[in-house]
Amino acid sequence: MTDREQQANAEFQPSTQQELSRFVGDNARNARHGLLPVGGRTSLVQSRLAETGVKRIDLSQLNRIVDYPHRDMTITAEAGIRVHDLQSLLAKHKQQLPLDVPQSRRATLGGAVASNTYGPRCFGYGTLRDYVIGITAVDASGRLFHSGGRVVKNVAGYDLCKLMIGSRGSLAIISQVTLKLRPLPESIRILWTALPAFTDIDIVLECLTVSRTRPIALEVLNQVAAQQIAQETGTELSSNTPILAIGVEGSVQETEWQLATLRDEIGHFGPLSMKTVDPQQTAVVWNALTEFSTRCDAPLSFRIDLRPSQTMRLMEQADQHDIALIAHAGNGSIVGQLPEEGSAAEPYRSVMDSVRNQLNQSQGQLTILNCDRHWSDLQPVPGGSQAGWQLMNSLKRNLDPQSLLNPGSHIHTATPASVVRTPEAE
Amino acid sequence: MSRQTPADGVTATAEFVDRLRSIVGTEAVIHDPEQLVVYECDGYVVDKQVPDVVVFPNSTQHVVDIIRTCNAFDMPFVPRGAGTSLAGGCLPVGGGVMIAMTRMRKILEVNLRDRYAIVEPGLVNLHLTQHLAGTGFHYAPDPSSQGACTIGGNVATNSGGPHTLKYGVTVNHILGLQVVLPDATVVDLGGVSEDPTGYDLTGLFVGSEGTFGVCTRCIVRLTRDPEAYRTLLGVFESVADATQAISEIIGVGIVPAALEMMDSGIVEAVEAAFQFGFPLDAGAVLLIEVDGLEVAVDGDAERIITICEQFGAREVRRAESDQERKLLWKCRKQAFGAIGRLSPSYCTQDGVVPRTKLPEILESIAKSAERHDLRIVNVFHAGDGNIHPILLFDERDTEQVRRVLDASHEILSKCIELGGSVTGEHGIGVEKISFMNRLFDATDLEVMRTIRDTFNPDGRCSPDKVLPTAGACGMEEHIEQSHPKRHAAM
Repeated sequence: MTDREQQANAEFQPSTQQELSRFVGDNARNARHGLLPVGGRTSLVQSRLAETGVKRIDLSQLNRIVDYPHRDMTITAEAGIRVHDLQSLLAKHKQQLPLDVPQSRRATLGGAVASNTYGPRCFGYGTLRDYVIGITAVDASGRLFHSGGRVVKNVAGYDLCKLMIGSRGSLAIISQVTLKLRPLPESIRILWTALPAFTDIDIVLECLTVSRTRPIALEVLNQVAAQQIAQETGTELSSNTPILAIGVEGSVQETEWQLATLRDEIGHFGPLSMKTVDPQQTAVVWNALTEFSTRCDAPLSFRIDLRPSQTMRLMEQADQHDIALIAHAGNGSIVGQLPEEGSAAEPYRSVMDSVRNQLNQSQGQLTILNCDRHWSDLQPVPGGSQAGWQLMNSLKRNLDPQSLLNPGSHIHTATPASVVRTPEAE
Repeated sequence: MSRQTPADGVTATAEFVDRLRSIVGTEAVIHDPEQLVVYECDGYVVDKQVPDVVVFPNSTQHVVDIIRTCNAFDMPFVPRGAGTSLAGGCLPVGGGVMIAMTRMRKILEVNLRDRYAIVEPGLVNLHLTQHLAGTGFHYAPDPSSQGACTIGGNVATNSGGPHTLKYGVTVNHILGLQVVLPDATVVDLGGVSEDPTGYDLTGLFVGSEGTFGVCTRCIVRLTRDPEAYRTLLGVFESVADATQAISEIIGVGIVPAALEMMDSGIVEAVEAAFQFGFPLDAGAVLLIEVDGLEVAVDGDAERIITICEQFGAREVRRAESDQERKLLWKCRKQAFGAIGRLSPSYCTQDGVVPRTKLPEILESIAKSAERHDLRIVNVFHAGDGNIHPILLFDERDTEQVRRVLDASHEILSKCIELGGSVTGEHGIGVEKISFMNRLFDATDLEVMRTIRDTFNPDGRCSPDKVLPTAGACGMEEHIEQSHPKRHAAM
């Protein structure tokens, strides 16, 4: 959807945070519509758009840089700034928010925070939890509140930044974020390693636990995903076996040394091939790995979270019938997508049932990212404890007693509502 | 509206104490007044309050039963680790029960492949890293008190330490917690997988200073040991030169593992204690450490040396051996312990300013010292902008105490004025409640109260901490420190 079309469909588009606060407050006192904050609409599929009577609040006009003391390595920006624009500004001072955000020309900072977006570099750099140091948000009654500050160490008051990250607009509408930053590295490289099977990759991952190198990403692709990436990027990367793609960064000297050392360490385990992605192609490949999680046309896309040491076994289990899988193997997170013919019940139902059973036994989680109507009855595996879900419910009730904010998300319940895709989300 | 101050006049009846003894055993209950006085304060010695009783649980069930009993008898309770809090976080305002977690100190599981450990909250911070020695991993948060402070206490205050510049603070290393809520419900938050669904209650709980419940188990992230270190000591003629160097090091994009400053006052104390060879005529020394790949650390060290020399460093020494490195860090981390050579008492502040404002805040601290006729020495995490001015005094002299409190108030006010905060790692506790109205407006505090009241609706768990009492006028009048209950009322 173009920006122009988005604006046409938006119910309300505040130009200041105070305006947002007034609108939400007025809504709480009068019309009491459900409210759904939207930014770039890149992870909107994870919210249930089928709810009627929900007004969208388009935050894309709240896109100002509030403060950027670059020598302090912090920045404060309004939530509607596009992630790409933010990163471009930071790059001028050789700085970055070390976060891989898909569709970054559309995705907004507030959206990334609200959906806790992360990508391949989560292994080396962590997630937004490690970079958000201050937040301003509007709660369901229109109160504009702040937490944290603009300094990199701060324990004054309760850390509501953490509560807002990943809350999908269900507790408050994020209007401004302060981030701590990292230097931009001189070089990023990828070692693309083909191994015969996931069991072989698991052995290599075990070895890399005490590698002399310090990778920032450990991505494992099944054959289907590897072929997709190779095709999308137009590279001649190996793609007829499972792939371990290792990301390293630093100075040129550091990355060259790490690549050589990784070749030496992994060489003992009989890789079928090891290729250092050409420097000119690294950005393209990296981007493809990042964008994988937001392909919207799969009948079903999901995310599995479990212990890193269990990841390869689950990859093996789910690697059937052209299901595409990419794992952040160092973190225990797998994104999967069914092929086009996956709308049919079998054999895909059996695969997903088997995955769900495995996750229930191993205390993992299954999150439905996106699905068509054929999969709308698929239940996630929420993980967590009953008492924990009750506490989340209590927080939701106390902060949003009329359930006005993102009423379809049910993020605070153990059985989130189905995330059926509608055309609006595409 | 919830009650957040304990009922006046509650005392521990004999029946209540007997009930506690039946839970944890007689030997794990302290009720004798002469023994209770040991627990009258933590590292913040300005305020004192003796608890009615101290109990030492050694299981989650003990904690559940203790809290149930406290609720049945309408007794407030406060958790305590090692009592190293420097803000009165362990102060049992209004009395009540102190739940000392130090018997719960086991390491339950270490999983290097999945990079986590599960520990009990009473485990001493350093003991975890010592346990991991030789595995290639360590527990990154390393407060200077790590030889005594506990993991649970670190969780309560979101502790930092010298290496937070590169590695983050405690919350960045906590994957999950088991908590006994103030209604005695046991709840597991987070877990060993990285991204639990739902809200990040683990992140919310860390730093809640014991006001959301009692932590009984921690799942902590383990961090790879760096391949190599280079540890430098920069000697500067003045604090101003040293702070300019700090600003430049960060400004050019170097991320040292640690960047610590000590001024001449603290150098005097540590040199007398440890005889490292610190120059006693220097204005300030910088302890700078880079870590990472062997192939990279020399280059980073050289760049730092160049910057230090550019900003007037008299010399920059390198630690030539691991032993020398450890001694340097000992001098830094035990600096507070060396202060006893300078004065009988001290009060440490914990303000934070943007790094580029370090010269201004240090100048302001010097002026406060002059204005209030106090000696203030400085040792702090310069790379984060987290200052620790140490105000030296004799607590037996009430007039000195008054001047210390006034100077502290000035320094923290200046931190706010420069765009910073009043606490980088020690927490609000009771000491800094009066500043909450200056850092946050009424709406912010209302939202925080709503969240606190979700966890702690009856207000028995760590009352009178962190947030001013609802309805407080937020005046800037100075609080009478000898009456801790009045903190919340201002």
